[in-house]
Amino acid sequence: MKIGVPLLALAFLVFPASAWNIVGGYAGQVSVGHGMFFGIGAYVPLLVYQHGAWPPMLGVPIAIALSAILAVAIGYPTFRLRGHYFSMATIAIAELMRIYVGTVDYLGAAIGLQGPAVGRGWWDLTFRGELPYYYIFLGVLAILLYVTFEVQRSRFGSYLRSIRANERAAASLGVPVRQTKLRALMLSAAFTSVAGSLYSIKTGFIDPESGIGLLVSVQMLITAALGGAGTLFGPLVGALILVPLQSATNTWFGGSGSGLTYILYGGIIVLLARFEPGGLHEFWHRVSMRWRARHAA
Amino acid sequence: MLLEAKGVSKAFGSFFAVRNADLTVAEGEIIGLIGPNGAGKSTFFNCLAGDTMPTSGTVSFDGVNLTGTTPDTHARAGIGRTFQVPATFEDMTVLENVVVGAHLHHPHRNDARRKALEVLEITGLARLADQRARVLGTPGRKRLEIARVLALEPRLMLLDEALAGLTPGEVQHAVELLRKIHGMGITLVIVEHIMEVIMTLAQRVIVFNQGHVIAQGKPEDVVKDESVIQAYLGRNHGKRRSGAGKHGSGA
Repeated sequence: MKIGVPLLALAFLVFPASAWNIVGGYAGQVSVGHGMFFGIGAYVPLLVYQHGAWPPMLGVPIAIALSAILAVAIGYPTFRLRGHYFSMATIAIAELMRIYVGTVDYLGAAIGLQGPAVGRGWWDLTFRGELPYYYIFLGVLAILLYVTFEVQRSRFGSYLRSIRANERAAASLGVPVRQTKLRALMLSAAFTSVAGSLYSIKTGFIDPESGIGLLVSVQMLITAALGGAGTLFGPLVGALILVPLQSATNTWFGGSGSGLTYILYGGIIVLLARFEPGGLHEFWHRVSMRWRARHAA
Repeated sequence: MLLEAKGVSKAFGSFFAVRNADLTVAEGEIIGLIGPNGAGKSTFFNCLAGDTMPTSGTVSFDGVNLTGTTPDTHARAGIGRTFQVPATFEDMTVLENVVVGAHLHHPHRNDARRKALEVLEITGLARLADQRARVLGTPGRKRLEIARVLALEPRLMLLDEALAGLTPGEVQHAVELLRKIHGMGITLVIVEHIMEVIMTLAQRVIVFNQGHVIAQGKPEDVVKDESVIQAYLGRNHGKRRSGAGKHGSGA
């Protein structure tokens, strides 16, 4: 039980961050509103339970489809432009969604939605102990990392990295830039949605702040960027550092320090931007190169 | 004709960077596109590569009209281009840079890798394959750009000042590489403002000045052309030189 809490916290950081990493890391299209996909994934399973008494699990594919559609709706117009338009659009839409969901009674408004208190069968995925959740998370995370690994070495991955490095040059080498970005966003949105579903099914509760809030979006970005955006294990490394940091600030400052997470994240952003935009992965690369150079000489 | 540009103009507001320029390139030619700084060479070049949409006129390649299509459509049609300021993918290795280009005709990663290694061998970059592009100097970057384009297996290669900023020795190497590429059956259009390079390489030269094509023909004829001399040295340059002496301002 003692080790359980940090493990779950770790999973909830790694999973969405790895999903974000596909478009934000590999393709370099920094989304600051991935909470919208997480939110769709989190809300739909509890919605189908609350209004249709369906097992929450059945909401997962619906949420994936909705997230992919939203990804196209956002990506299609914004990916025509280079630069920060996409980032701006994602913040705006995520925030609009959060505010809107908070006003609609059908969606639980500001109070939120609840899942089944007691499972009616295994298909409700409502377990007493935590162990089953670990296996589910582990399984889904393994799939996500495998997909990322395959993407990384495929033509698709090569194209994503070229777009991140230099869009104009990529296009001159036959890379269909807009279409490639769009595919990356759809894939990323789908996995982020699954992460949201796992979260709401596990906790049995979702409200606008925990589902779509800015903190949800920023958390994915920071976790990936800290470890190394655009690398397979970057999000995992980032989460391994963030989880102890967060629990430390929570213990030191207790419940009164809920705004402190933002300050912590702000500090990390400043440090990364100033000293190591490539994250710890880049730092490690530099150190090991220097080490090798010294020992070769 | 392999490449045919007809009446191409590009206006930025009321200023015409290129006005009514024509160019035809036959398969297997080496064409030099020269002119003083600001003559409109690069803008015209970008119109040919699909990077800039011409205000009017058409660009067709092997009989297919490519006007207004994206750069990646141009690449798929068989046109490869380099950039004046090298646009290599800095954080990717030399091999990875070339693999991006190789993927155009080789969707599978192993085939693309094989093609890329082959190109690195031709361009003399094989021993740098695992280095990141950011560690290369200017000559290396220019060479890498050429390698990337070569991996596209293009029929036409557009080179935007691929030799600028190189030392005479490096220029010699680059010229050898371009000859080798031409020998592979690839047509070349080279933009340069250094005349000497073009003279040794190009079979036909097009001279740009103030957005117009002012002369074209064999290199040895073009350099004797009065309008070309004027474009490079100014109108009545003989008089102006003596005038400068009179006023004592040698600057």
